[in-house]
Amino acid sequence: MKRALVLTFALTLVFGLMAVGQVKSLNWNLGTEPPSLDPNIATDTTSIQVIQALFLGLTDFDDNTMAVVPELATSWENSEDGLTWTFNLRDDVVWTRTGRKVTAHDVVYSVKRTLDPATGSSYAYVLWIIEGAQAFNNEEGGTAEGVGVRAVDDYTVEFTLIQPAGYFPSIAGLWVCRPLPRFIVDEYGDDWTKPENIATNGAYELGVWVHDSHLVLYKSPTFYNADNVNIDQVFCYMIEEASTAMLMYEAGALDSTAPPLEDMDRVKTDPVLSQELTMAPDLCTYYYGFNNEKEPFDDPLVRKAFASAIDRQSLIDFILKGGQSPAQTFTCPGIFGHVDGVAEGIGYPYDIEAAQGYLAEAGYPNGEGFPEVTLMHNTSEGHSKIAQFIAQSFMDTLNVTVNIVNQEWKVYLETCRTDCPQIYRMGWCADYPDANNWVNEVFHSASGSNYANYTSPDYDALVEQAARATDPAARLDLYRQAETLLCDVDAAIAPIYFYTIVNLTKPYVVRTFAPLGGEHWDQWDILPH
Amino acid sequence: MITFLIRRILWVIPVILLVSICTFMLMHAIPGGPFDAEKALPQAIIDNLNAKYHLDDPLWKQYLDYMWGFVRFDLGPSIAYRARSVNDILSDQWPVTALLGSVSFAIAIIGGVALGTISAFRQNTIIDYSSMFISMLGLSIPNMALGPLLLWIFALNLRWFPPATWGTPAHVVLPAITLGTAFMASFARITRASILQVIREDYIQTARAKGVRESLVLLKHCLRNALIPVVTIAGPSFAAIMTGSMIVERIFAIPGIGKYYVTSVGNRDYPVVMAMTLIFALAVVVMNLLVDVSYGFLDPRIRYN
Repeated sequence: MKRALVLTFALTLVFGLMAVGQVKSLNWNLGTEPPSLDPNIATDTTSIQVIQALFLGLTDFDDNTMAVVPELATSWENSEDGLTWTFNLRDDVVWTRTGRKVTAHDVVYSVKRTLDPATGSSYAYVLWIIEGAQAFNNEEGGTAEGVGVRAVDDYTVEFTLIQPAGYFPSIAGLWVCRPLPRFIVDEYGDDWTKPENIATNGAYELGVWVHDSHLVLYKSPTFYNADNVNIDQVFCYMIEEASTAMLMYEAGALDSTAPPLEDMDRVKTDPVLSQELTMAPDLCTYYYGFNNEKEPFDDPLVRKAFASAIDRQSLIDFILKGGQSPAQTFTCPGIFGHVDGVAEGIGYPYDIEAAQGYLAEAGYPNGEGFPEVTLMHNTSEGHSKIAQFIAQSFMDTLNVTVNIVNQEWKVYLETCRTDCPQIYRMGWCADYPDANNWVNEVFHSASGSNYANYTSPDYDALVEQAARATDPAARLDLYRQAETLLCDVDAAIAPIYFYTIVNLTKPYVVRTFAPLGGEHWDQWDILPH
Repeated sequence: MITFLIRRILWVIPVILLVSICTFMLMHAIPGGPFDAEKALPQAIIDNLNAKYHLDDPLWKQYLDYMWGFVRFDLGPSIAYRARSVNDILSDQWPVTALLGSVSFAIAIIGGVALGTISAFRQNTIIDYSSMFISMLGLSIPNMALGPLLLWIFALNLRWFPPATWGTPAHVVLPAITLGTAFMASFARITRASILQVIREDYIQTARAKGVRESLVLLKHCLRNALIPVVTIAGPSFAAIMTGSMIVERIFAIPGIGKYYVTSVGNRDYPVVMAMTLIFALAVVVMNLLVDVSYGFLDPRIRYN
């Protein structure tokens, strides 16, 4: 009896300790080494994912509605004329390692550092909406003092813009504006992001960073909302090979992964894996652009013919296999200003007769006399398969000859910039949830990303007006007109599909899917398993 | 011998210079630069970044600056990875590649020579045919097929080894086997061919006639001479293994330097490209020198004066 009691007590103690000592750890694959954890410099999704966990932004995005929600800022308001935005900050956020409070001065420091040309930030241009920003950043005679951002007091930041921008609260939450610990950056310079130097203010702290191998984030005890953060530790692997990541997922070493295309058929039919699969919309569009200044694609009828000869649904069903949606307009669903081309009849659906009709009208009945076409994409298995499918479709439908050429990424960018091919492949992903990021920043005639050389004064006027307008209904109408010009009347590009996230996640991970920025690990949970 | 060594060491300098000039010129000849991106940077930022990395200096000056740093062991900053210098990258990750490389090489050389020797002494028997078949398999199955196959069998299904990444001795086994088998195959075949040639020599017959034990015939009289062709290919193979196999490191998610050979070119990360290429060139040159020196020990007829 006594022995039984002692044994029971011992077992209870052991299991109790195990339960108490249980650390909720998420095994995540970043996919590659993050090039930089400096919020002012980062450009890629890997770095931004980690930055999202370490540094708070003034605002954040709701994972389901994509609405702008408060984070570091509790509230904000704009002036009557829409030129001044004031953000009120929380006063209970501190920097790790020092316990110093995060203040408005840290926000101002960060914004100015992003705009400082010496920092070399690739994303500084999103802040050019701020007064004096472009002049400072592009070395046109501006100074740091002239930039329209200031700390009214320790917990109030005021931005002055060059024109009204209804979407500004989403810009204010981007990583380039996130407050930085001045005292750390000034002391350590380029080394400030090393784990032994860095100070952060978000839900997680950077514990370990072994380059090209892994990094470990620990829940920050000084985070203002630490009580509601369930996951104690995020172990981030850096596995570049998709099939290896898939294998590790199946072996139980990873809690989430993107299944490679080759495994999709198996995953969909596997009783266990098919339950763990999620296919959700992603905020990116895949498109083929036409060089509007190169023969014969300077003729809108030719462009319309080719746009009508793409069988998007078959491409999605047989090649992509990821539940993507066909795209007939540029801005993708979920972004304010998106127009549903398929439903509203804007753009060119797959229509063999219409395609042949346009080509005949352009002077090439049944493809007679049509010169050889070059279709170019950057080197990748995926793009190659898509190109072969679509090129075959062009050849069958229009009776033309299409040559597929691929180039290494940077060479390809240079080619698109200097001598854009007749048909070129591109994609665009959202930085913030507004169509300004799409139709204006990509296809305005002055844009550096407008490889299609699309120049339409009407289009430019529409998108410029939409950027300045404040009434959402009016803006939506302007974007509808702009998309109609871009994808229908002028057929400057042929949008193909809207991306999806294809993901496998273990059933014991309670998670959300963040379409913008990085995943919100601080809102997730791990059930006992 | 000493003059031979000194002459060979001095030859390193023009070789490295030639390799560095060719690499430098090629890198700057291909279109695109480190700051090209889909979202085009404003010109002022590009100018600033170019100034920061001295990419706006004339090419000859960039080259000389780099080589001057190189001889003082300062390999420059990484343009793509702003918080790390090339020295950081190498000191963090070369030991990993070196460890993987050493174990792979040990498997390759020991396994290869053993397999080849057994085949040669049991020529035209079932042992010979199966050994050569296995080595042919090793040579023909590419790393990118063998690696995932081993992972699938031993890590996923049998759970004998951890699935990829690095950290414990158990993590070394599967990648070392993957990397080693290809080289093992070529060592085996060359060893076999070489021993078959040596074993027909007169002095082997003499040794046997004198009554020398067969094991001594093999080890003392046969193997040393037969190893010359093996050592010839082992040298450059060692250099290649030690500077990293990008494929194996990628498949097994090993934090080595192998991937930088490819990614640095894609990134136009000039300092990393130069460092990687020059280190590989140095490794090959040094290994070839060691191989040549070893000939003197293996074959007494070879003299350097």
